[in-house]
Amino acid sequence: MIEVNSLLKSYGDKKALNGISFHVREGEIFGFLGPNGAGKTTTLRILTGQLKADSGEARIMDLDVMKGTREVHSHIGVVPEETNLYERLTIGQNLDLFCRLYGCDIRQTDYYLKRIGMSEEKNTQVKKLSKGMKQKVLLVRALLHSPKILFLDEPTSGLDPASADTIHRVLKELNEQGITILLTSHNMEEVDKLCNRVAFLNQGEIVEMGSPEALKLNYSKRRMKVLIDDGHELVSRELDMDGEESARLVSEWMTEGKVRSVHSCEPTLAEIFVKVTGRDFV
Amino acid sequence: MTLSFKRIGAILIKEAHDFKTNINILIMYLIPMLLAYIYNNFIPGMPKGFALSFGLLFLVVMVGMYVPSMMIAEEKEKKTLEVLLLSPASSVEVFIGKGLLTFISIIVSFIILIAMSGGVGFDETVVILVGGILTAVFCIQVGIIVGLLSKNQMATGVVGTPVYMALLLVPMLGSMGSPALEKIAKVFPTYYYNDMLYRVLYEFEGNHTLIDMLPELGILLGSIFVAFVLLLLVYRKRGLG
Ligand SMILES: Nc1ncnc2c1ncn2[C@@H]1O[C@H](COP(=O)(O)OP(=O)(O)O)[C@@H](O)[C@H]1O
Ligand SMILES: [Mg+2]
Repeated sequence: MIEVNSLLKSYGDKKALNGISFHVREGEIFGFLGPNGAGKTTTLRILTGQLKADSGEARIMDLDVMKGTREVHSHIGVVPEETNLYERLTIGQNLDLFCRLYGCDIRQTDYYLKRIGMSEEKNTQVKKLSKGMKQKVLLVRALLHSPKILFLDEPTSGLDPASADTIHRVLKELNEQGITILLTSHNMEEVDKLCNRVAFLNQGEIVEMGSPEALKLNYSKRRMKVLIDDGHELVSRELDMDGEESARLVSEWMTEGKVRSVHSCEPTLAEIFVKVTGRDFV
Repeated sequence: MTLSFKRIGAILIKEAHDFKTNINILIMYLIPMLLAYIYNNFIPGMPKGFALSFGLLFLVVMVGMYVPSMMIAEEKEKKTLEVLLLSPASSVEVFIGKGLLTFISIIVSFIILIAMSGGVGFDETVVILVGGILTAVFCIQVGIIVGLLSKNQMATGVVGTPVYMALLLVPMLGSMGSPALEKIAKVFPTYYYNDMLYRVLYEFEGNHTLIDMLPELGILLGSIFVAFVLLLLVYRKRGLG
């Protein structure tokens, strides 16, 4: 669905992308994770044809993004980093404009507003909306022409949890209907929850890539935490997952009915990022 | 590239909605009306045509340049242009939509202003309208050029003010009697519209039908062409930045 090979991009003598390659399969939710300045927006803007790469290759649905983007644009929806709605216009006026430009059914506006729970606000001026509401309108605007691929640049950054949840829910539903999604984020939990695969981006390079589960298993130290009740108090014990000693202890506690909980200690995505890059996240 | 009337219409509708709530722009239309009202009602002994000719020139020149330049610069500043250009709309369609709204609003304001000043004769109205239409087309193109050259709304002031001054004030001053100034003023196409207005609104001698103004109309038509070529050059060179 999306193919990227050795993308290079510099702003002046500042290198923003240092040879990035990855691909996104049809039906995936792919997450681009990285701290501020990692190059997430730059990558996305190259893919949507809004920015020229210095070299490398980018294809969307087998169309070369570097050569002409007209056709590409009809297949993609974009939720940009900035909240770029027409602030003096109402939500309805904003969305109707794009319905008319795309030549799509004007009822799409009502359909999607209902889906994100904002039918009531249709005639409200955008400048009177909260950040979360504006972000939801941006999402609707990107969906009006029924794109096959959705690009979102930090869709939930700075949002209240309720709005973020709505956006997550809608993205999941859209994905179930077959839309491929590429999103960037610096929120590890969001990506962990939502994405089939993630790429860690750091200083213009992809430093790790894979499904969240696989990454966590790869970086797991294979340890587990067992909470036992020794009759007086709860005690937490950390054990190796492998070895006879652990097996013996756990089996003993289990036989004696002391085990209260068992957790394997995989690292979080944030911990993996720190391990891979040697730098703190955010 | 094919232009789509539907998409131009979509931009036009959007601009019309936006226009109604945009104080910065509405004020520009109110200035000539307010001046006309004050001149007509509170300043005795003012020549009848003065407020009208100033108002018409202001509308066509100032509003014609200022409104499209601000519309384009604001879309760049607020990054809304980016999404427009991700849609099937082309930048040319965006310009035409914005220019068209400016044009229509100027003509409507023209009619209001003429009505406010008690109306003028048929021949005079034809001259005012035809000359106004040509000058508006010229000025709107200049406004689009200013918008293209400006990064944000602030910058339109820096880029635009010298241009507005040259095209509005120089022709007005030039027609006030100094032969040296008049020579300079004759470089600017707006001088010729100002001259046409002067002839139909102040002079009582001579003929003032459209046929008598053919040289001026020719100059205005030529200026439209020159501005169009300039617009193409700037657009090719700068794009939408
Ligand atoms: N227009 C620009 N001019 C100069 N440098 C830029 C520009 N845009 C981004 N950069 C630089 O490129 C790097 C990557 O930026 P960006 O892609 O916006 O990162 P992210 O979206 O991950 O925060 C940063 O170091 C940033 O400062
Ligand atoms: Mg960014």
